[in-house]
Amino acid sequence: MAVTPTAALVQTLNGIQFGFILFMIASGLTVILGILDVLNLAHGELFSLGAYTAIGVFGFIIGVIGPPGGGVVGTAVFVLAVLAAVLITAAILLPVGTLFEAVFLRQIYDRDQVYQLVLTFALLLILLDVKKFIWGDSSIRTDAVYSAINTIPTSELVGLNYPTYNVFVILVGSVVVVGLFWFFERTKTGRIIRATAIDREMATAIGVSTDRVFTLVFALGAFLAGFAGAMAVPPTSATLEMGTNPLVLSFVVIVIGGLGSLRGAFVGALLVGVIRSWMITLYPPGEIAAPFAIMALILLVKPEGLFGTWGETA
Amino acid sequence: MPERVDRDGTPAYRFLGVEVTRREAAFLVLGVVVLFIVPDLTTVSDSLQLSVIHQGLLFGFAAVGLNLLLRHTKLTSFGHAAFFGTGAYATAVLARYAGVQSVGLLLLGAIAAATVMAAIIGVLSLRHTGLYFALLTLAFGQLLYAIALGQSALGGSDGLPIRPGPANQPLLFGTAFSPDVYQVLTYYLTVVVILIGLFVMYRITQSPFRNALDAIGQERTRARFIGLPVRRYVWAAFVISGIYGGVAGGLFAVVRQYVRPEGTLFFLRSGDILFMAILGGFRTLVGPLIGGVVLVFLQDVGQDVTQYYEFLTGAVLLILVYGFPRGIVGSLRSGGIVNTRLNELRREPSVLSTWGRTAVQSLERKVTEALTSLRIILFGVD
Repeated sequence: MAVTPTAALVQTLNGIQFGFILFMIASGLTVILGILDVLNLAHGELFSLGAYTAIGVFGFIIGVIGPPGGGVVGTAVFVLAVLAAVLITAAILLPVGTLFEAVFLRQIYDRDQVYQLVLTFALLLILLDVKKFIWGDSSIRTDAVYSAINTIPTSELVGLNYPTYNVFVILVGSVVVVGLFWFFERTKTGRIIRATAIDREMATAIGVSTDRVFTLVFALGAFLAGFAGAMAVPPTSATLEMGTNPLVLSFVVIVIGGLGSLRGAFVGALLVGVIRSWMITLYPPGEIAAPFAIMALILLVKPEGLFGTWGETA
Repeated sequence: MPERVDRDGTPAYRFLGVEVTRREAAFLVLGVVVLFIVPDLTTVSDSLQLSVIHQGLLFGFAAVGLNLLLRHTKLTSFGHAAFFGTGAYATAVLARYAGVQSVGLLLLGAIAAATVMAAIIGVLSLRHTGLYFALLTLAFGQLLYAIALGQSALGGSDGLPIRPGPANQPLLFGTAFSPDVYQVLTYYLTVVVILIGLFVMYRITQSPFRNALDAIGQERTRARFIGLPVRRYVWAAFVISGIYGGVAGGLFAVVRQYVRPEGTLFFLRSGDILFMAILGGFRTLVGPLIGGVVLVFLQDVGQDVTQYYEFLTGAVLLILVYGFPRGIVGSLRSGGIVNTRLNELRREPSVLSTWGRTAVQSLERKVTEALTSLRIILFGVD
């Protein structure tokens, strides 16, 4: 199959866009894993909960401000409103994550790890039906955001026909990545979280409340998952089983990058996103299998993952 | 013939290496009899269906295999559907492309395929323990799922029929039976396979191999220092547990005569298998089997009663985690929570109100704790 440079570029951009979404999910998962030592199987459901919630929030915000007005100012207001809606969605997910940790998980930290798996799996099933109860069986979608943002010319300026919304996702995703690294490297709370990851006992000894850190980390994970859900939903639709695939791919990302490593999650997510996207044009049946093949390869060459365990550096 | 032996003062019987007291022997006989009369029981009531119980037994059998890892080496495999699916697909491929018709040969093929698959996945994933191991097994399971979904030779998402054509049915003892007879006969075949499998597993749990696995599960470094070949033993246990999954999957394919990736290889099936082991009680031998029947039955009944049956399963798992962490069999047997509570109740019925009070109190405490931590998160410590 002949692949033109343009098509290759578009596929790469698609992959990067998906990689950023994946990073937002996987980063929360990997931080939870690194600090709480819990594999949160319900993380994909948090992502899809974010997507469902976002459709409502988008609808509300657009209802308030109306369709994008003409001119630069009108467009800017609309983009800001979309960003605000995404943030609101993510903020709605904060208490959900907090409740998860404080009410359910906290009781069973001292048990066998397998019980934590069962618990998060039970929460996965429950969330699945809660969504079904609220939003029904069929998929729901919102077109307004996607089509409105696509009217803004970006890639057309350099002579490429590429949806502006995807560019938007890449830009926002980059900001999230920078923000997360800044948070963990520079802020006091971020350092406390990292200290807890490196040595829980020592952190307690110097006065860090690990309980608080645990809840915070889980809430942060839920926030990021909700953010990812809100960013991912406009081009597609929210479905009940949309959480499964990103969850499993996040596992792959975590294994590739190294357990608990934020930097690893970033590299892994982009790698998985781009290779998956290339596979769609080169060899379609390999699309689902490719991430796992990379993972197996990494395991053979470097079993601890590309960046090892989280700790000294984020 | 059974020979009498003495076990800690109580008389016990010993036969083929299985040592039971009289009480246990009664349970054993009862269990076997129940297993064999299930096809007759299902004619009594419509809510009991042979195919549901059969499916529960098959998944439960895979869970028995998984339990070897979970109980002794403390490894949580989250990808056991990989072996179940390998067995099922090996059967389907053999029947469809190699023209194998006999059930026995098909099952042997399933065993061979599952062994090879478990050996490969084991080598790759057993370098790690804990959650990392769970992640890896899950990812390999999904890899197989992706392969089955992507290859048109394996039927893609539509799956594969076991035998093409109108007589879509493998041969038992070289004969083709009518569908309902076939169903009952394969059920008995399953029961026989399960009994053999349980017997083998029992012998394994009575062997020095099991002690070695226990030692490895408790502390790997120490196990290595006392000279155990840790990696080889764990790998052997992994392969054995994979074979159980493969046999179950092969039987599943033979019974259903159709293999779909969703029903055999999907990661939720791995979850199901793991939770069957815990639901039934993973510190016991037959627990996973009972957990399998209960979970599949629950899902089936739930589907009839409400459209929110996933919620139902989730709620049962929650109750299990908080209330009965030892599972059904673990809670029911002497010394288990149910027995202890019942005895207390028999001795002093007023204990009920104390339980109620403690339950309310602990609930209150949990809620206060949760609210406190929420407040701390939002507003800080002071």
